[in-house]
Amino acid sequence: MSFLVLDHLQKSFGTTKVVHDFNLHIEKGEFISFLGPSGCGKTTVLRMVAGFESPSEGRIVIDGQDVTGLRPNQRQIGMVFQAYALFPNLTVAENVGFGLKVAGVPRSERSGRVTEMLELIGLPDLGQRYPWQLSGGQQQRVALARALAPRPRVLLLDEPLSALDAKIRVSLRNQIREIQRQLGITTIFVTHDQEEALSISDRIVVMHRGVADQTGTPRQIYNQPATDFVAGFVGTLNRFESEVLDAASGRVRVAGTEFSLNRPLQSGKVTLAARPEGLTLADHGIAAEVVGAEFLGSVQRVRARVDGSEIVLDRFNAPSVALPEAGEIIHISPEGSNWLVLATDA
Amino acid sequence: MRKFWSWGAIIIGALYFLLPLIGTLEFSLRMRRGEYSLDAYRSVLADPNFRATFGYSVGMALATIVLGVLIVVPTAYWVRLRLPRLRPVIEFITLLPLVIPAIVVVFGYIRLYNTSSILPLTGTASGTNLLLLCGYATLALPYMYRAVDTGLSTLDVRTLTEAAQSLGAGWVRIIGNLILPNVLGAVMSGAFLSFAIVIGEFTMAALLNRPAFGPYMQLLGANRAYEPAALAVIAFAATWGCMGLMQLISRIAGVRKTAK
Repeated sequence: MSFLVLDHLQKSFGTTKVVHDFNLHIEKGEFISFLGPSGCGKTTVLRMVAGFESPSEGRIVIDGQDVTGLRPNQRQIGMVFQAYALFPNLTVAENVGFGLKVAGVPRSERSGRVTEMLELIGLPDLGQRYPWQLSGGQQQRVALARALAPRPRVLLLDEPLSALDAKIRVSLRNQIREIQRQLGITTIFVTHDQEEALSISDRIVVMHRGVADQTGTPRQIYNQPATDFVAGFVGTLNRFESEVLDAASGRVRVAGTEFSLNRPLQSGKVTLAARPEGLTLADHGIAAEVVGAEFLGSVQRVRARVDGSEIVLDRFNAPSVALPEAGEIIHISPEGSNWLVLATDA
Repeated sequence: MRKFWSWGAIIIGALYFLLPLIGTLEFSLRMRRGEYSLDAYRSVLADPNFRATFGYSVGMALATIVLGVLIVVPTAYWVRLRLPRLRPVIEFITLLPLVIPAIVVVFGYIRLYNTSSILPLTGTASGTNLLLLCGYATLALPYMYRAVDTGLSTLDVRTLTEAAQSLGAGWVRIIGNLILPNVLGAVMSGAFLSFAIVIGEFTMAALLNRPAFGPYMQLLGANRAYEPAALAVIAFAATWGCMGLMQLISRIAGVRKTAK
């Protein structure tokens, strides 16, 4: 049995159901991200694991113990909040030691553990400061140390990076992942930022309207999105309306160009999709009119129009590759591009 | 021109507050004919009843503050945490003591807790003290509640509570170690007002027949000429002194908190 099991969780507030039948098995030491737009139910699931909300249906099992009926302070779960939530009347060291003090750990042992935690987060000299004397990034690291000090069974991170500026966000997320690996602690990370989720997770659960649309590794989520929503939410996606000419061999026509996908399709119309970096340019192929091009250093980002709809394609920069001009006609190679066939549920 | 009027308003306001005080002070010094002296003060301070009643009222004031804190802090906290929609209702309830005269409250007490009732609190001195304490706490409620509620509004009560809960803390520890220390400044300002109210309170203490400072002032005022003025000045000074002391204590606590 998995270390953390979320078994048929449901949650309703009044008559609105915010989480529908959520199932997830998390292995010990795994780093799981809940990714989705706001209001998708990801935070509600996290708060049910923490014990701040009780599920309307279903069970939560940690390490074989059913904790569904336990109060938050009985669950041995560490939590980090978006708003840091450090105790303003306590020093950094007292904040970090709070959970140990509550657990009745003797003072000498406590101070050793606090020192250890402060070293872990790279702030060994700030123990006597008060939270308001620290920067946002430092406060969030202290909050992480505070959550980890009592050796919780599970670490919950509720959008911990959202209040920080971009540069700190990247360095702190790497630090969080490093500490998580080092301690081998089972972690759930809630975020609406796909880049964050893709970069640090073992597995991602993409949530949409209270349902887990897809659960998989970052590569699976990005390369083989299971639903139209996942495909559109994670990464940029170009859509091409296409007409199926031969369903068995997967022959289609896009903007007047015929080519074969070499896989069976349903007949009629189908939506093809491709990532910006999955589109390759060639001398012949699907014609596109350049709308504009941006030079981003390592990447050239070209915006073009195909059959009336705008697409984006990225290609690596090289001294020999000139930036296309607006109005220029370019050709997308059907054979050299990576096509996704979107489910026609939408 | 605008400046002139605003200064004018300030001066008129100051005179309105200060003139009676100055008048009282001046009068209290005139016990000896033809010259200023402290005779009236000497006479008051020598009176054992003064010391007894003033001590009683100070004790009651401190007890009122403690009771008020015990009632108000958990209530205001809980309302903010779990019953935010009830806030207007609770606020209204806490304002009732301003609308209902103390005499109504005290008659209600006497009817409910007289010696032939189920709970004959008025039968013993300690029971009556308890009743008076509850009455005082009621009178102080509007000030205490507003002060504490304002203090809580500066905290993210919900997230702090959840953070503490996830670290294993129970309610007593959350309120005692986290919420109360963070609203201490607000509690102090509520405490000043409670103190001032209790020291001068007359109606409840007189009707419950307790040896408090208010009835003593009234008694003296009815029988003497200069001493009541001296007493009023002493009461003012003592109340302000106590307030200053509390302010100082909370500031020292605050400095320790911020300067480390």
